[in-house]
Amino acid sequence: MVAHILKLKLRLLANGFKRSVGQLVGVIIGGVYALGLIVMLTLAAWFTAGESAIAGEVSIIVASLVVLGWAVIPPLLTGVDLTLEPSRFVHFGIPQKALGPALVLSGFISVPAILTIVGLIGGSLTFRYDPLALVVGIVAAIITAVMAVLVCQYLTIMATALRAKRRFREFTFAVLFLILVCLGPIISSIAMAASSLVDLVVPIANVLAYTPLGAAAALPGAIAAGNYVQFGICLVLTVIYLAGLYWLVSRATAKATVTPPPEQQAAKQSGLGFFKYAPSNPAGAVGARALTYWFKDPRYAIGVLMVPVLPLIFWFVGNQSGNYTMMFLLGPFIGILLGFSISADISYDNTAFALHVLTGVSGRADRAGRALACLTLSIIPVLAAAILPGAISGEVWRIPGDIGMSLAALLVALGVASVASARYTYAVPLPGDNPMKTPPGNGMRVALTQLATFTTMGVLLIPVIIPYLIAWFQESQGLSFLTLGIGLVLGIGLFLGGLVLGGKWYENRAPELMQAVMLNK
Amino acid sequence: MNQIALDIRGLAKQFGPKVAVDNVSLQVPSGSFYGLVGPNGAGKTTMLSMATGLLRPDAGQALVNGVDIWADPQAAKATMGVLADGVRQFDRLTGRQLVTYSGLLRGMERAEVTDRTEDLLRVMDLSDDGDKLVVDYSAGMTKKISLATAMIHSPKLLVLDEPFEAVDPVSAANIRDILNDYVKFGGTVIVSSHVMDLVQRMCTHVAVIAGGVLKAQGSVDEVRGEMTLEDRFVDLVGGRANNEGLSWLRTSSN
Repeated sequence: MVAHILKLKLRLLANGFKRSVGQLVGVIIGGVYALGLIVMLTLAAWFTAGESAIAGEVSIIVASLVVLGWAVIPPLLTGVDLTLEPSRFVHFGIPQKALGPALVLSGFISVPAILTIVGLIGGSLTFRYDPLALVVGIVAAIITAVMAVLVCQYLTIMATALRAKRRFREFTFAVLFLILVCLGPIISSIAMAASSLVDLVVPIANVLAYTPLGAAAALPGAIAAGNYVQFGICLVLTVIYLAGLYWLVSRATAKATVTPPPEQQAAKQSGLGFFKYAPSNPAGAVGARALTYWFKDPRYAIGVLMVPVLPLIFWFVGNQSGNYTMMFLLGPFIGILLGFSISADISYDNTAFALHVLTGVSGRADRAGRALACLTLSIIPVLAAAILPGAISGEVWRIPGDIGMSLAALLVALGVASVASARYTYAVPLPGDNPMKTPPGNGMRVALTQLATFTTMGVLLIPVIIPYLIAWFQESQGLSFLTLGIGLVLGIGLFLGGLVLGGKWYENRAPELMQAVMLNK
Repeated sequence: MNQIALDIRGLAKQFGPKVAVDNVSLQVPSGSFYGLVGPNGAGKTTMLSMATGLLRPDAGQALVNGVDIWADPQAAKATMGVLADGVRQFDRLTGRQLVTYSGLLRGMERAEVTDRTEDLLRVMDLSDDGDKLVVDYSAGMTKKISLATAMIHSPKLLVLDEPFEAVDPVSAANIRDILNDYVKFGGTVIVSSHVMDLVQRMCTHVAVIAGGVLKAQGSVDEVRGEMTLEDRFVDLVGGRANNEGLSWLRTSSN
C-alpha cells in the first residue's frame, strides 16, 4: 500500500510536467537556479571548512531557517500540492498504519524536498576535516530535512482545516501580505541595530540548538567541538522532537481521513450593493460588478494594499537615508500601479467571463466599466498622494505639477492596461484560490507582458515627464501648472483612446479570450 | 418570423489531431423543444459553444434566428439565452446581483430588470437565497441561477447545456414546466442531455451526435421509430458490444 501511494505521487509529479512545455521550461529554469544556489552553498561549505570558528553555529542557523521556511511558506503562502491531502483518502478504507507512513514519505517526492535534502547534505561538507563530524553532519542533514517536511505536513493539515473557512483564508492572507511587505524594513532595522552580525550568531544558535528547528543540526558542531554533553542532550531532543512530530502528523492524518469537510457559513449581502448606484447601462453594470470584486475578491486586495504600504516603504527608505525626495513620487507610482492592476482583469474573471461573451456586451462597455471602477477607487488616494507631500513640505508651487503627473500616470496606465488585457491573458490564481499562489511555470511570460506594459506606459508618459522634471528643477510654479494641463489632456486622451482600441481588440478576440481563460493561460 | 431558430451549417472544429466536431449541420425549427443527445465526449458542448459564440469554429456557420453569430455577434446574441456547461459564474455576487447584472449587461431597462429578477428568483425557488453569495450555492442552485441569467431578456431561443445535471427532482420539474410554457408560447429550446428518458418525454425533436458526427436528427418519433429512444440511441452509437458483465461483482457467488 505504501508503495502504491508513493507510485501515485511519482506519477502525479511526472504528469504535472507533461501538462505543458512552458511549465516544464519554467520548472527547469527554477530548478537550475535552485541547483546553482545549492552548488554555491556546497562550495562555500567546502572551502570554509576548518576556517570558520563558528561553522557549527552557522549551520544551526541555516538549518533552522530551512525548517522555518518549510513551516511557514507552503502552508500559509504558496499552498501545498494537495493532491495527496489525507482527506482525499476518506473513501478508501486504507489502514491507518499504512496511510500515515505513506503520506509522510510521499511528502519527500517533490522537487523542493529533494533540493532541500541535497542542499543540507552539501552544507554539511563544512565538517569535511573531521570524519566523525562529517558522518554525523550528513545524518543530521537528512534528519533536518525530515523534520522540515514533517512540520510542513502537520501545519498544512492544520491550516487546511482552518482555511476551509473563506473568511479566515481572506483575513490571514491580508495580514501575511502586510507582514511580508514590512519584513524588509523591519529586518534591516534590526540588523542595523546590532553592531556586529557575529555577535548575534552565537547566542541565537545556542538557543536554536534546543528547539525542533535546530536540534539535529547542532549534532555535528557539538561533535566537532568535542562537547559530548551538548551532543547527548541534542541527540535526545532530536529523537523526542522527531518522534513527537511523527506522532502528531499521523494523528492529524488519521483525523483528517475521517473528518468530513466543515460546513461553511454562507455570506449574505442584502440588496443590490453597487448595482443600485451604477448607471443603468452595460458599462455601468460592468463597473458595479468590478467594484464589488475589488471589495470581495482577495486577489484584487493586493492592489489596494499597495496604497497604504507604498508610502510606508518610501518613508522607511527616506528615514534611513535622511532624504525624503522619494515621497514626491508617491502619486505617480500609486497611480501607475493602481492603473496597471486591471491588466489581469479578464484572467481573474476566469470562465465567468463567458457571461460577457454570451450577452454580447460591447467591447467598449466592458473596457469602460472595468477602467471606471478602478478610477473611482483610485482617484482619491492618488490625489492625496499627489497633494500631501507638497503640502507637508511647504512647497506649494509643485502641487499642480504633482497632480498633473499623478493623474496622467493613473489615466495612461488605465488606458494601456485596457488595451493589454484585451490581448494578453496569463495564468493567475483561480477565483477562491489563495491569492499568493502563483501558477507554476509561466513566470517568464508574465514578466515579459508586464515589462512591455510598463515600458509602454513609461514611453507614453514622456510628454508629461519632461515638463514635470523641468518644473521640479527650476522650482517654477508656471511650469508646474503647464504640467497639470499637459497631464490632464494627455491622460484623458490616452485613457479614452485605450478604451476605444481595447474595445475593438476585445470584440475581435472575445472567443479567443474565452478559450484562454478556460485553460487559465 | 424565421422558421429555423438555429441553423447550423457544416460546423467543424479540430483540437490538434482530434476532430471534436466534424462538419455537423442541423436545423432547429422555431417553436420546437429540441434534444441534443450523445455519449460523453461526443462533441455536444463543443458544438454548442461554436453555435453560441464562445468558440470560433474552423469552418461552418451558425444562424441564430436568421443572423450569423460569427458575422454579427451582438445582434445574434440579443435573441438567444445560453446556459453554458462547465463555466463559472461571477460567484462573489449574490444571486440577485448576478441576475441583475446579466440583465443590465444586455442593455435592459433597470425597472424591467428588477421586476424580472424577482420573478425569476421566485420560479427558481431561490427567493430566500437571493441575498447569498453564489459561491455558497450548491451545484443545483448554481445551475438554476445560471438558467435565470440566461432567461432574463426573454430570448427567442434558449440553448441549455446539461440543464438538469445536479438539479433536484422538484426543481427539475419546475424548470421543465417553465420550459414547456416557454415553448407553448412560441419559444425554442435546445437542451443537451444524457438522460434519454427525459428527452423522449420532454422533447419534440432530437439529434444524436457521437464522435463529432451527426448520427440522426428529426422529430422524436422519426428518430426512434418503433424502439424506445434509449435503445435507438445505443443502436446508433454502438456502445453495447460486451455483454459479459463483471462476473466478480456478483457478491452472492462468494
